[in-house]
Amino acid sequence: MEAKYRIDFDEGNVLESVTYTLVSEYDLKPNILRADITGDGSGFMLLSVIGDCDDVILGMNYLREIGFKVKELKGHISHDYERCWSCGACVSVCPTRSIYHEEETMLVKVNTKKCIACGSCLNACSVKAIQLEL
Amino acid sequence: MAKTYEEINNRIKTGEAVVMTAEEVVDLVREKGAERAAEEVDVVTTGTFGAMCSSGAFLNLGHADPPIRMTNIRLNGVEAYGGLAAVDTYIGATSLIDPPGTGYGGAHVIEDLIAGKKVHLVATGPGTDCYVRKSIETNISLDDINEAYLYNPRNCYQNYGIATNTSDRTLYTYMGKLLPRMKNATYSSAGTLSPLLNDPHLDTIGMGTRIFLAGGEGYVSWQGTQFKTTVEEVNGVPVGGSRTLAVIGDMKQMDPKFVRGLDITGYGISLAIGIGIPIPILNADIMRNCAISDEDIYAEMVDYSLPSGRKCMQRYNYAQLRTGKIEYEGKTIRTSSMSSLAGARKVANTLKDWIEHGEFLLNEPCLSLPKEGKLKGLKDGGQ
Ligand code: SF4
Ligand code: SF4
Repeated sequence: MEAKYRIDFDEGNVLESVTYTLVSEYDLKPNILRADITGDGSGFMLLSVIGDCDDVILGMNYLREIGFKVKELKGHISHDYERCWSCGACVSVCPTRSIYHEEETMLVKVNTKKCIACGSCLNACSVKAIQLEL
Repeated sequence: MAKTYEEINNRIKTGEAVVMTAEEVVDLVREKGAERAAEEVDVVTTGTFGAMCSSGAFLNLGHADPPIRMTNIRLNGVEAYGGLAAVDTYIGATSLIDPPGTGYGGAHVIEDLIAGKKVHLVATGPGTDCYVRKSIETNISLDDINEAYLYNPRNCYQNYGIATNTSDRTLYTYMGKLLPRMKNATYSSAGTLSPLLNDPHLDTIGMGTRIFLAGGEGYVSWQGTQFKTTVEEVNGVPVGGSRTLAVIGDMKQMDPKFVRGLDITGYGISLAIGIGIPIPILNADIMRNCAISDEDIYAEMVDYSLPSGRKCMQRYNYAQLRTGKIEYEGKTIRTSSMSSLAGARKVANTLKDWIEHGEFLLNEPCLSLPKEGKLKGLKDGGQ
């Protein structure tokens, strides 16, 4: 399975050590989608992990035990279909092709399952129809 | 066999008129040829829904008691023109809120008014013997004020360029977000459905043509600004921005579905509106023009990282652009539209519906738009 998490931390040097442990101890394939670290070293990262269902749960429990705040991200991008006028400006800036024109109607739709919360589409939209909820 | 406006209007009134969208007629003309298709079809409806920056609204706010001659006017904090008579004003779509930076502007005021929302008015004036009042603060809505009409000096661009970015940094332009090293390209035309590409030499569209304007009835009022006819043509249509229209229409009839105030990152405020133009099929030549489709319409890709002298890098047709990717020197570039095809279809279909139900008659233009037009530049430090 693949799941996405937001992980909050207090020290900046955790990025490598965390991903190392998830690979070596829990047999997971982690991928840091986005990380924001402030001057004092605290921050958050958006992590995608691929692995066996049990391993994913164990790995995330391990992170909680050592003091991180771990939150699973589900459908964290929201698309306001009423506000959206299906211009398509956001389509080509999405690295995962999560935004597409529905074939029949040409209406713009967002596949939240594929979205990695990179945020690239947010400022491509002129009516703020896409919002990222972290 | 030629038809007249009168004949077509009579058929519309009796509900007999055959109306098709500019997408629907493509196959018909391919199958039956333009002559036969022209006999069968009375009207072709076109549509576009895109950013039209050169737009704005004339408003007459009504007189207060005692009255004021407004010279400084703000609507929801956005500057409106104070150089007309007492309570007349014009609010331009790109006008900024004061202080700027909230992503709200003239286009949003126009959208709010059309959506029936209250708008906050603050105005001041010099105070004169005939207009003694010096300031007023109140709320207005579209129903409260006298006239409110859009008058857009340049809409409906006949084709447009494709924008890409060869530099190493992301550019934020009126053609959208352009990723570095040509990772994407953007274009802006309704292609097959685009009004002026279906009547490329304006044989039927002229001053007085009745149109669909943002959900209400409007008219072509003049040639649009920057009207030019000198652009090279391929398959009978120009490969770049060419003719334009000035349009007018009553805001009180408009539908917020076809209006969007835009805040384009890095550029500013603009207004997206839906415009549809009916084309009367008076003869086979007009029908032939309406049969143009995405494959036949080309646009030129230019590099927006160059400050000026942007040359055509390559031409692509709209069928290629709409696949979502194009090739340039062996590299794949992803594409995005800046104007809404879904919206353009809705416009063309709504107009078709109106005509089929006898609710919208065609108006014969009282004046043709210019056959020729050249663009002049602006001299720096001119004497
Ligand atoms: S945040 Fe936007 S651009 Fe990034 S993956 Fe999700 S939909 Fe695509
Ligand atoms: S840029 Fe915004 S309005 Fe345009 S299609 Fe994307 S979400 Fe919709």
